[in-house]
Amino acid sequence: MHCVVTGGNVKVLAKAIHSLSRIGDELYVEPQEDGLALRSVNSSRSAYACFLFAPLFFSRYSVPNRNNFRCKMAIKSVQAVFRSLASLEKTVEKCHIELDEQKNRLTFTLHCKHGLLKTHNLSFQDSESLQAVFDKDSCSNVFRAQPRLLVDTVMHFPPSLEEVTVSVSDERMWVRNHVEEEAEQSKAMLTELCLASDEFDHFAIQAHSSVTFCLKELRGLLVFAESTGLPVSIYFDEPGSPVVLSVTDSVLEGNFVLATLTDDPGLRKNSSRRGHTQPPPPPDDFMNDDMDSYLIAMDTSIVPGPSTAGPPTPPLAGSTCSKRPVATNHRTRIHSEEEEEGEEEGDSEKAEDSDRPPNKKFRSLFFGSVLPPSSQMNTQPVVSQEVLASDSEDDSQDE
Amino acid sequence: MPLSTQSQGDDEQYVLVACSDNARNLSNILKAISFKDHAIFTATPNGLRVTVEDSKCLQANAFIQADIFQEFTIREDSVTFQINLTVLLDCLNIFGGSALPGISTVLRMCYKGYGYPLTLFLEEGGVVTVCKINTQEPEEPVDFEFCSTNVTNKVILQSEGLKEAFSELDLTSEVLQITMSPSQPYFRLSTFGNSGNAHYDYSKDSDMMELFQCTKTQTNRYKMSLLKPSTKALALSCKVSVRTDNRGFLSLQYLVRNDDGQICFVEYYCCPDEDVEEE
Amino acid sequence: MKFRGKIVDVACLNHFSRVVTTISKLTKMCVLRLTPDNLFFVLSGKVGNGGVSMWCELSQANFFDEYQMEGVSSEDNEICLEVTPENISRALKTVQNAKAVKVKLTKKHCPCLTVIAELPTLSSINRVVTHDVPVDVIPQRLWHEFKEPDMPDFDVSIYLPPLKTMKNVVDRMKNLSNFLVIEANLNGEMNLKIETDLVSVTTHFKDLGNPPWGDDASQDAGPSQSRDPDTMAEARVDIRRLQQFLMGQQVTPSRAMCNIVHQRVLHLILLHEDVSLQYFIPAVA
Repeated sequence: MHCVVTGGNVKVLAKAIHSLSRIGDELYVEPQEDGLALRSVNSSRSAYACFLFAPLFFSRYSVPNRNNFRCKMAIKSVQAVFRSLASLEKTVEKCHIELDEQKNRLTFTLHCKHGLLKTHNLSFQDSESLQAVFDKDSCSNVFRAQPRLLVDTVMHFPPSLEEVTVSVSDERMWVRNHVEEEAEQSKAMLTELCLASDEFDHFAIQAHSSVTFCLKELRGLLVFAESTGLPVSIYFDEPGSPVVLSVTDSVLEGNFVLATLTDDPGLRKNSSRRGHTQPPPPPDDFMNDDMDSYLIAMDTSIVPGPSTAGPPTPPLAGSTCSKRPVATNHRTRIHSEEEEEGEEEGDSEKAEDSDRPPNKKFRSLFFGSVLPPSSQMNTQPVVSQEVLASDSEDDSQDE
Repeated sequence: MPLSTQSQGDDEQYVLVACSDNARNLSNILKAISFKDHAIFTATPNGLRVTVEDSKCLQANAFIQADIFQEFTIREDSVTFQINLTVLLDCLNIFGGSALPGISTVLRMCYKGYGYPLTLFLEEGGVVTVCKINTQEPEEPVDFEFCSTNVTNKVILQSEGLKEAFSELDLTSEVLQITMSPSQPYFRLSTFGNSGNAHYDYSKDSDMMELFQCTKTQTNRYKMSLLKPSTKALALSCKVSVRTDNRGFLSLQYLVRNDDGQICFVEYYCCPDEDVEEE
Repeated sequence: MKFRGKIVDVACLNHFSRVVTTISKLTKMCVLRLTPDNLFFVLSGKVGNGGVSMWCELSQANFFDEYQMEGVSSEDNEICLEVTPENISRALKTVQNAKAVKVKLTKKHCPCLTVIAELPTLSSINRVVTHDVPVDVIPQRLWHEFKEPDMPDFDVSIYLPPLKTMKNVVDRMKNLSNFLVIEANLNGEMNLKIETDLVSVTTHFKDLGNPPWGDDASQDAGPSQSRDPDTMAEARVDIRRLQQFLMGQQVTPSRAMCNIVHQRVLHLILLHEDVSLQYFIPAVA
């Protein structure tokens, strides 16, 4: 394979690789007849992303006839090729990408200003084809929005937040942070954003549903969408089936497929609490915001106050706010103390460990080891349509 | 100015007094060599030389000529002491080290001699800070015996051209390999990292190349960990001269322009990595 | 117990947001007291916060366009909540360009301060963002712990130099030492000092002025009058506490001063229009 990217497209390519790095640690490269496919998948296989750059994206694009080569490499090493993202447009005039199958080498050559020539020879491993099974066109809910709208939406959520829940009705979309357990809810800050349908370029609803997925990957795609100015389409069905985020223009297509949480009871409870399926208009119900019950409960309780370091009593299981305000308050007190102690640790953990597999409740996307239809290549085991155990398979082929 | 009048009478007891109306002129250039705590100060009537070393394989020198200071008084031929550079930099920047025009920290630096602390009087906006930094027995700096008559290859580049390369260096590579040659690739920086290798080639005709004097193809490797600190000097400089001698020793000389447009030099010497045979 | 406030003016919103952000830099948790005229952010000095205490007072009328509250009873017309200022700060920061922001006490899954903002859009319908910040309602019998601290019987009171300058100096000193001695006299002089095996650093401020405390000052008969103006009162403090205080400042206060109770406590006071912030750092031996 030999292809050449010039001008502003170098940055588009770099941004695509950058947003793929939010998904997984490896970049899967597959030169196809219909373009260069770059893919990534996360370790728990609950998120998958693919960019396909059409031959017209390149000023030169040639793939060998024996069109079945594919490989993978550490995405970090490819990111390193385009390290100075900000200045890329100004410094790089032309980028050659060459694949040398004999030497197991993918070479990026950047022709830069001032006659500087940067050559990066990256080693790679052979890989299976990576495909997520999804069909966005059959999704019942379809939206399209300018990247700005989504950027402004996710901005309301803290960077540490892992998952958001998106709910839709005929006229509105609600985005809120997903809180794991009921216990955590008592201390977690809840944020909900309500968007009207006419803020979207396209808003087609067939099912009033609600899905929860990881925010990190959405942010990853937005990095790309915002820099290229491409609108983002969102496709989803019901909880448990993947949400597809996609960007397209005439020479490229990007699809991010994210698993959603399977229907969990907590979600339903949330729904009824927030009343998201048919929420009442925000009322000016000042006098309805009645806190008396809490106060009465507390002044008669034996609950230690915030300044009294009393021995913590085990929380009463199963109590809810409305029925047992005393217990509820007690429970929140315990949590607040724990939180104070554990918070710093928790934060740093989140920052460092952002690549840990997402929650187990996410169903792994079903990937098939799809071989090209007219395959003459026999190095890949012919075990298609199975959940991949790619890593073990590949080890034998490593150098 | 309170500082200049403050302790005039005491000046006789000092063997070294250096004053500047902008402490940044000293602190900036010291930043370029601040990769280890210990620095050896050598003052002569010509000015100050500050030396920092790492494992006898790397040496960095900052030269601050006497005329960079408004006053530079030395009562001996040469005054030498060792000091904690990190502490000195914190003291010099006690007021924040602002680069805003019209705001500068006035500095008066005094040393009474062996066994005494280095005393700094710093003043900004009427606020005075007095620092007493303990000095230590100076170590003898290594002589790298890098002599310009033995230089095989030499290029002078605008720093701008090298900054990008150094900011992108693959730090998983143990070494930085420098190739200098009268023919292609002329001037090449190479790394050999976990995920592959990278080469940065500078054409001898590049508008970044101010001087190109290569007589013989030479490829040498230098420990990445040793060369990485030189990035600080590169960042502050406007030009850099890269030289290698017949032993493969590397000299990097940086031309640094201070806030007042005056010129200072920073120099790094580095031994080649012994594991590699010369090609 | 009811509370609802509305901010429309963007400058007020910005100002309020900055005050809360300042508080959030000083403490992870604090108490928010709401009265018909004022809001107070309070931290009482416990070992857990390094003995530091804080009292921040805001006049509601200067921030809120609408402000309605109903306290526990007509005699004790107050609401007392334990809050995480960081959460409120974050909620307010994301709605800086809102058309209107409402803050109210709500009963959701737990008691919450709910921040509701209408954000401008190109569409005919506003974008609405709701942040539910969980709070704990503090029972009345514990309120006494969150009263305004008494003015300490200080030895020296002095105006502070520009906080930016002080911050720069303290930041550098922090690199060099864990403790700092702050000393001041009635001659308008203040010194910041550190001393370690490697280095000693003293920064001298002068002509700062000493605030005229009238009869309402706590010192009985005013020891300051009989005090030698050149004698320093000093407090050795954990440098991180002072740094935290200086780091959190979002606005240049119109008045900044400090009171030193010799070897006991450092009392910092910032006044800015309608906001006052007091911060107490205990001295260490």
